[in-house]
Amino acid sequence: MPGARQSSFASLHDVELCSYAAAGERRAFGELVRRHGSSVRHLLRRMGAQAALSDDVAQDAFLAAFERIAEFRGEGTFAGWVKKIAARLYLRRLQREKRLSALAAEDGSIEEIDTGAGDADHRIDLDEALKGLSPAERLCVSMCYGAGLSHGEAADALNLPLGTVKSHVKRGLEKLRARLAPADRAVLEGRQGNG
Amino acid sequence: MAELDFERRLERLFADAPELPDAQAFTQRIEQRLNRGWTARRWLLGASGMAGGVIGGSQLVMSNVFQQVESAEQSARVISQGLARVTPTSDMVSALSGGYGLWIAVGVAVLTMGFAVARVFEEL
Repeated sequence: MPGARQSSFASLHDVELCSYAAAGERRAFGELVRRHGSSVRHLLRRMGAQAALSDDVAQDAFLAAFERIAEFRGEGTFAGWVKKIAARLYLRRLQREKRLSALAAEDGSIEEIDTGAGDADHRIDLDEALKGLSPAERLCVSMCYGAGLSHGEAADALNLPLGTVKSHVKRGLEKLRARLAPADRAVLEGRQGNG
Repeated sequence: MAELDFERRLERLFADAPELPDAQAFTQRIEQRLNRGWTARRWLLGASGMAGGVIGGSQLVMSNVFQQVESAEQSARVISQGLARVTPTSDMVSALSGGYGLWIAVGVAVLTMGFAVARVFEEL
Protein backbone atom coordinates (compact mmCIF):
# COMPACT_ATOMS: atom_id res chain seq x y z
CA MET A 1 0.00 0.00 0.00
CA PRO A 2 2.52 2.66 -1.07
CA GLY A 3 -0.20 5.28 -1.43
CA ALA A 4 -1.40 4.78 2.12
CA ARG A 5 2.18 4.91 3.40
CA GLN A 6 2.80 8.08 1.42
CA SER A 7 -0.23 9.79 2.92
CA SER A 8 0.89 8.74 6.40
CA PHE A 9 4.26 10.37 5.70
CA ALA A 10 2.47 13.56 4.75
CA SER A 11 1.19 13.93 8.30
CA LEU A 12 4.60 13.54 9.93
CA HIS A 13 6.92 16.28 11.14
CA ASP A 14 10.17 16.88 9.29
CA VAL A 15 12.23 15.45 12.15
CA GLU A 16 10.22 12.22 12.11
CA LEU A 17 10.61 12.00 8.34
CA CYS A 18 14.35 12.45 8.76
CA SER A 19 14.41 9.51 11.17
CA TYR A 20 12.62 7.34 8.63
CA ALA A 21 14.95 8.55 5.89
CA ALA A 22 17.97 7.77 8.07
CA ALA A 23 16.63 4.22 8.34
CA GLY A 24 16.68 4.03 4.52
CA GLU A 25 13.03 4.90 3.89
CA ARG A 26 13.31 6.73 0.59
CA ARG A 27 9.62 7.66 0.38
CA ALA A 28 9.94 9.59 3.64
CA PHE A 29 12.77 11.54 2.07
CA GLY A 30 10.60 12.07 -1.01
CA GLU A 31 8.06 13.76 1.24
CA LEU A 32 10.77 16.10 2.52
CA VAL A 33 11.74 16.95 -1.04
CA ARG A 34 8.08 17.58 -1.84
CA ARG A 35 7.86 20.01 1.07
CA HIS A 36 11.10 21.90 0.64
CA GLY A 37 12.20 21.43 -2.96
CA SER A 38 10.76 24.70 -4.18
CA SER A 39 12.27 26.80 -1.41
CA VAL A 40 15.73 25.36 -2.05
CA ARG A 41 15.40 26.02 -5.77
CA HIS A 42 14.16 29.55 -5.08
CA LEU A 43 17.16 30.21 -2.86
CA LEU A 44 19.58 29.15 -5.59
CA ARG A 45 17.81 31.34 -8.13
CA ARG A 46 17.97 34.23 -5.70
CA MET A 47 21.70 33.63 -5.35
CA GLY A 48 21.91 34.18 -9.09
CA ALA A 49 21.70 30.68 -10.59
CA GLN A 50 19.83 30.14 -13.82
CA ALA A 51 16.74 27.92 -13.53
CA ALA A 52 18.37 24.80 -15.01
CA LEU A 53 21.49 25.17 -12.91
CA SER A 54 19.49 25.81 -9.74
CA ASP A 55 17.46 22.63 -10.34
CA ASP A 56 20.64 20.68 -10.96
CA VAL A 57 22.33 21.94 -7.82
CA ALA A 58 19.16 21.49 -5.75
CA GLN A 59 18.96 17.86 -6.86
CA ASP A 60 22.58 17.29 -5.89
CA ALA A 61 21.94 19.00 -2.56
CA PHE A 62 18.99 16.75 -1.73
CA LEU A 63 20.92 13.63 -2.73
CA ALA A 64 23.85 14.77 -0.58
CA ALA A 65 21.40 15.43 2.25
CA PHE A 66 20.03 11.90 1.93
CA GLU A 67 23.53 10.46 2.10
CA ARG A 68 24.30 12.52 5.20
CA ILE A 69 20.85 12.45 6.80
CA ALA A 70 22.24 10.77 9.93
CA GLU A 71 24.25 13.96 10.57
CA PHE A 72 21.05 16.01 10.83
CA ARG A 73 20.29 16.22 14.53
CA GLY A 74 17.19 18.39 14.29
CA GLU A 75 18.94 21.34 15.89
CA GLY A 76 17.79 23.68 13.14
CA THR A 77 15.17 23.10 10.49
CA PHE A 78 15.63 20.49 7.79
CA ALA A 79 15.01 23.15 5.13
CA GLY A 80 17.72 25.36 6.61
CA TRP A 81 20.15 22.46 6.67
CA VAL A 82 19.53 21.56 3.03
CA LYS A 83 19.74 25.21 2.00
CA LYS A 84 23.19 25.47 3.53
CA ILE A 85 24.27 22.35 1.63
CA ALA A 86 22.77 23.75 -1.58
CA ALA A 87 24.41 27.16 -1.16
CA ARG A 88 27.81 25.58 -0.62
CA LEU A 89 27.35 23.24 -3.59
CA TYR A 90 26.41 26.19 -5.78
CA LEU A 91 29.52 28.09 -4.73
CA ARG A 92 31.62 25.01 -5.40
CA ARG A 93 30.07 24.79 -8.85
CA LEU A 94 30.90 28.44 -9.50
CA GLN A 95 34.41 27.84 -8.24
CA ARG A 96 34.83 24.90 -10.58
CA GLU A 97 33.70 27.03 -13.47
CA LYS A 98 36.08 29.76 -12.30
CA ARG A 99 33.22 32.22 -12.00
CA LEU A 100 33.20 32.67 -8.25
CA SER A 101 36.17 35.02 -7.92
CA ALA A 102 34.87 37.16 -10.79
CA LEU A 103 31.43 37.35 -9.20
CA ALA A 104 32.73 38.06 -5.73
CA ALA A 105 35.04 40.77 -6.99
CA GLU A 106 32.35 42.56 -8.95
CA ASP A 107 31.07 45.66 -7.35
CA GLY A 108 28.25 48.09 -7.83
CA SER A 109 24.73 47.56 -8.96
CA ILE A 110 24.14 45.66 -12.14
CA GLU A 111 20.76 47.12 -12.63
CA GLU A 112 19.69 50.44 -11.30
CA ILE A 113 15.94 50.65 -11.28
CA ASP A 114 13.83 53.53 -10.24
CA THR A 115 12.34 51.87 -7.21
CA GLY A 116 9.12 53.72 -6.58
CA ALA A 117 9.53 52.14 -3.19
CA GLY A 118 6.57 53.73 -1.52
CA ASP A 119 4.14 52.93 -4.29
CA ALA A 120 2.09 49.87 -3.41
CA ASP A 121 0.73 49.70 -6.94
CA HIS A 122 4.22 48.91 -8.13
CA ARG A 123 5.06 46.32 -5.55
CA ILE A 124 8.49 44.91 -6.15
CA ASP A 125 8.94 41.42 -4.79
CA LEU A 126 12.13 40.01 -3.36
CA ASP A 127 13.18 38.36 -6.60
CA GLU A 128 12.86 41.61 -8.49
CA ALA A 129 14.54 43.57 -5.73
CA LEU A 130 17.51 41.20 -5.70
CA LYS A 131 18.10 41.94 -9.37
CA GLY A 132 19.09 45.45 -8.36
CA LEU A 133 22.03 44.15 -6.35
CA SER A 134 25.49 43.41 -7.66
CA PRO A 135 26.27 39.66 -7.96
CA ALA A 136 28.48 39.79 -4.89
CA GLU A 137 25.86 41.61 -2.81
CA ARG A 138 23.21 39.23 -4.01
CA LEU A 139 25.30 36.19 -3.11
CA CYS A 140 26.19 37.52 0.32
CA VAL A 141 22.67 38.64 1.22
CA SER A 142 21.12 35.39 -0.03
CA MET A 143 23.62 33.27 1.83
CA CYS A 144 23.17 35.13 5.09
CA TYR A 145 19.40 35.72 5.03
CA GLY A 146 18.27 32.89 2.76
CA ALA A 147 20.61 30.03 3.64
CA GLY A 148 21.13 31.15 7.23
CA LEU A 149 24.91 31.29 7.12
CA SER A 150 26.72 33.61 9.48
CA HIS A 151 28.91 36.33 8.00
CA GLY A 152 31.94 34.26 8.96
CA GLU A 153 30.61 31.12 7.30
CA ALA A 154 29.74 33.10 4.17
CA ALA A 155 33.25 34.60 4.12
CA ASP A 156 34.77 31.12 4.38
CA ALA A 157 32.53 29.72 1.68
CA LEU A 158 33.19 32.65 -0.65
CA ASN A 159 36.87 32.77 0.24
CA LEU A 160 36.58 36.48 0.95
CA PRO A 161 37.69 38.56 3.94
CA LEU A 162 35.02 38.90 6.60
CA GLY A 163 35.00 42.68 6.25
CA THR A 164 34.31 42.44 2.53
CA VAL A 165 31.35 40.13 3.13
CA LYS A 166 29.98 42.46 5.79
CA SER A 167 30.19 45.45 3.51
CA HIS A 168 28.53 43.51 0.64
CA VAL A 169 25.72 42.56 3.01
CA LYS A 170 25.38 46.11 4.32
CA ARG A 171 25.18 47.63 0.85
CA GLY A 172 22.80 44.90 -0.29
CA LEU A 173 20.51 45.49 2.69
CA GLU A 174 20.43 49.21 2.06
CA LYS A 175 19.38 48.66 -1.53
CA LEU A 176 16.78 46.08 -0.56
CA ARG A 177 15.36 48.25 2.17
CA ALA A 178 14.89 51.07 -0.27
CA ARG A 179 13.06 48.83 -2.68
CA LEU A 180 11.08 46.57 -0.39
CA ALA A 181 10.20 48.54 2.66
CA PRO A 182 6.66 49.89 2.55
CA ALA A 183 5.04 47.80 -0.14
CA ASP A 184 6.25 44.51 1.14
CA ARG A 185 5.25 45.23 4.69
CA ALA A 186 1.68 45.55 3.45
CA VAL A 187 1.94 42.16 1.75
CA LEU A 188 3.37 40.52 4.85
CA GLU A 189 0.73 42.00 7.08
CA GLY A 190 -1.94 40.85 4.66
CA ARG A 191 -0.53 37.30 4.80
CA GLN A 192 -0.36 37.31 8.58
CA GLY A 193 -3.92 38.62 8.72
CA ASN A 194 -5.10 35.81 6.44
CA GLY A 195 -3.04 33.13 8.14
CA MET B 1 15.68 48.21 16.07
CA ALA B 2 14.38 49.10 12.60
CA GLU B 3 17.44 47.40 11.22
CA LEU B 4 16.62 44.19 13.12
CA ASP B 5 12.97 44.34 12.07
CA PHE B 6 13.99 44.64 8.47
CA GLU B 7 16.40 41.72 8.78
CA ARG B 8 13.63 39.54 10.28
CA ARG B 9 11.32 40.54 7.45
CA LEU B 10 13.97 39.74 4.92
CA GLU B 11 14.45 36.27 6.42
CA ARG B 12 10.71 35.70 6.23
CA LEU B 13 10.66 36.86 2.62
CA PHE B 14 13.45 34.44 1.80
CA ALA B 15 11.63 31.63 3.58
CA ASP B 16 8.39 32.49 1.82
CA ALA B 17 8.98 30.69 -1.46
CA PRO B 18 5.91 29.78 -3.49
CA GLU B 19 5.74 26.24 -4.84
CA LEU B 20 7.14 26.04 -8.34
CA PRO B 21 4.86 24.62 -11.04
CA ASP B 22 7.13 21.65 -11.70
CA ALA B 23 7.63 20.79 -8.03
CA GLN B 24 6.07 17.35 -8.49
CA ALA B 25 8.33 16.51 -11.42
CA PHE B 26 11.35 17.72 -9.45
CA THR B 27 10.45 15.43 -6.55
CA GLN B 28 9.97 12.49 -8.88
CA ARG B 29 13.36 13.05 -10.48
CA ILE B 30 15.03 12.91 -7.07
CA GLU B 31 13.06 9.82 -6.04
CA GLN B 32 14.09 8.13 -9.28
CA ARG B 33 17.74 8.96 -8.67
CA LEU B 34 17.48 7.64 -5.11
CA ASN B 35 15.86 4.42 -6.29
CA ARG B 36 18.39 4.01 -9.08
CA GLY B 37 21.24 4.42 -6.61
CA TRP B 38 19.64 1.93 -4.25
CA THR B 39 19.15 -0.67 -6.99
CA ALA B 40 22.71 -0.21 -8.19
CA ARG B 41 23.99 -0.65 -4.65
CA ARG B 42 22.00 -3.84 -4.19
CA TRP B 43 23.34 -5.26 -7.45
CA LEU B 44 26.86 -4.29 -6.48
CA LEU B 45 26.50 -5.96 -3.08
CA GLY B 46 25.02 -9.09 -4.58
CA ALA B 47 27.68 -9.31 -7.27
CA SER B 48 30.45 -8.69 -4.75
CA GLY B 49 29.06 -11.34 -2.43
CA MET B 50 28.83 -13.85 -5.22
CA ALA B 51 32.31 -13.05 -6.51
CA GLY B 52 33.71 -13.30 -2.99
CA GLY B 53 31.94 -16.60 -2.46
CA VAL B 54 33.21 -18.02 -5.74
CA ILE B 55 36.76 -16.87 -5.02
CA GLY B 56 36.62 -18.23 -1.49
CA GLY B 57 35.17 -21.52 -2.65
CA SER B 58 37.68 -21.90 -5.44
CA GLN B 59 40.53 -21.11 -3.05
CA LEU B 60 39.28 -23.87 -0.78
CA VAL B 61 38.96 -26.32 -3.62
CA MET B 62 42.31 -25.40 -5.17
CA SER B 63 44.21 -25.72 -1.92
CA ASN B 64 45.08 -29.16 -0.58
CA VAL B 65 41.83 -29.24 1.30
CA PHE B 66 40.88 -32.45 -0.50
CA GLN B 67 43.76 -34.36 0.98
CA GLN B 68 43.16 -32.80 4.37
CA VAL B 69 39.50 -33.69 4.27
CA GLU B 70 40.31 -37.20 3.08
CA SER B 71 42.67 -37.67 6.00
CA ALA B 72 40.01 -36.14 8.22
CA GLU B 73 37.57 -38.63 6.79
CA GLN B 74 39.92 -41.46 7.59
CA SER B 75 40.27 -40.12 11.09
CA ALA B 76 36.50 -39.81 11.33
CA ARG B 77 36.18 -43.39 10.15
CA VAL B 78 38.63 -44.56 12.80
CA ILE B 79 36.76 -42.51 15.39
CA SER B 80 33.41 -43.85 14.23
CA GLN B 81 34.73 -47.39 14.39
CA GLY B 82 35.92 -46.64 17.87
CA LEU B 83 32.60 -45.08 18.77
CA ALA B 84 30.73 -48.00 17.22
CA ARG B 85 32.27 -50.17 19.83
CA VAL B 86 30.87 -48.08 22.63
CA THR B 87 27.76 -46.40 21.15
CA PRO B 88 25.33 -47.02 18.28
CA THR B 89 26.56 -45.61 14.93
CA SER B 90 25.67 -41.98 14.45
CA ASP B 91 24.10 -40.91 11.14
CA MET B 92 26.03 -37.67 11.22
CA VAL B 93 29.41 -39.30 11.48
CA SER B 94 28.60 -41.74 8.72
CA ALA B 95 27.40 -38.90 6.46
CA LEU B 96 30.63 -37.06 7.07
CA SER B 97 32.66 -40.14 6.47
CA GLY B 98 30.99 -40.56 3.08
CA GLY B 99 31.99 -38.24 0.20
CA TYR B 100 29.26 -35.69 1.07
CA GLY B 101 31.20 -34.16 3.90
CA LEU B 102 33.58 -32.37 1.56
CA TRP B 103 30.84 -30.82 -0.51
CA ILE B 104 28.86 -29.73 2.50
CA ALA B 105 31.97 -28.06 3.87
CA VAL B 106 32.65 -26.31 0.54
CA GLY B 107 29.05 -25.17 0.31
CA VAL B 108 29.07 -23.77 3.83
CA ALA B 109 32.38 -22.06 3.14
CA VAL B 110 31.02 -20.45 -0.03
CA LEU B 111 27.93 -19.23 1.78
CA THR B 112 29.95 -17.92 4.69
CA MET B 113 32.40 -16.10 2.47
CA GLY B 114 29.59 -14.59 0.42
CA PHE B 115 27.81 -13.46 3.53
CA ALA B 116 30.96 -12.00 5.05
CA VAL B 117 31.91 -10.08 1.91
CA ALA B 118 28.36 -8.76 1.53
CA ARG B 119 28.39 -7.57 5.14
CA VAL B 120 31.74 -5.84 4.72
CA PHE B 121 30.50 -3.98 1.63
CA GLU B 122 27.29 -3.05 3.41
CA GLU B 123 29.27 -1.59 6.31
CA LEU B 124 31.42 0.39 3.86
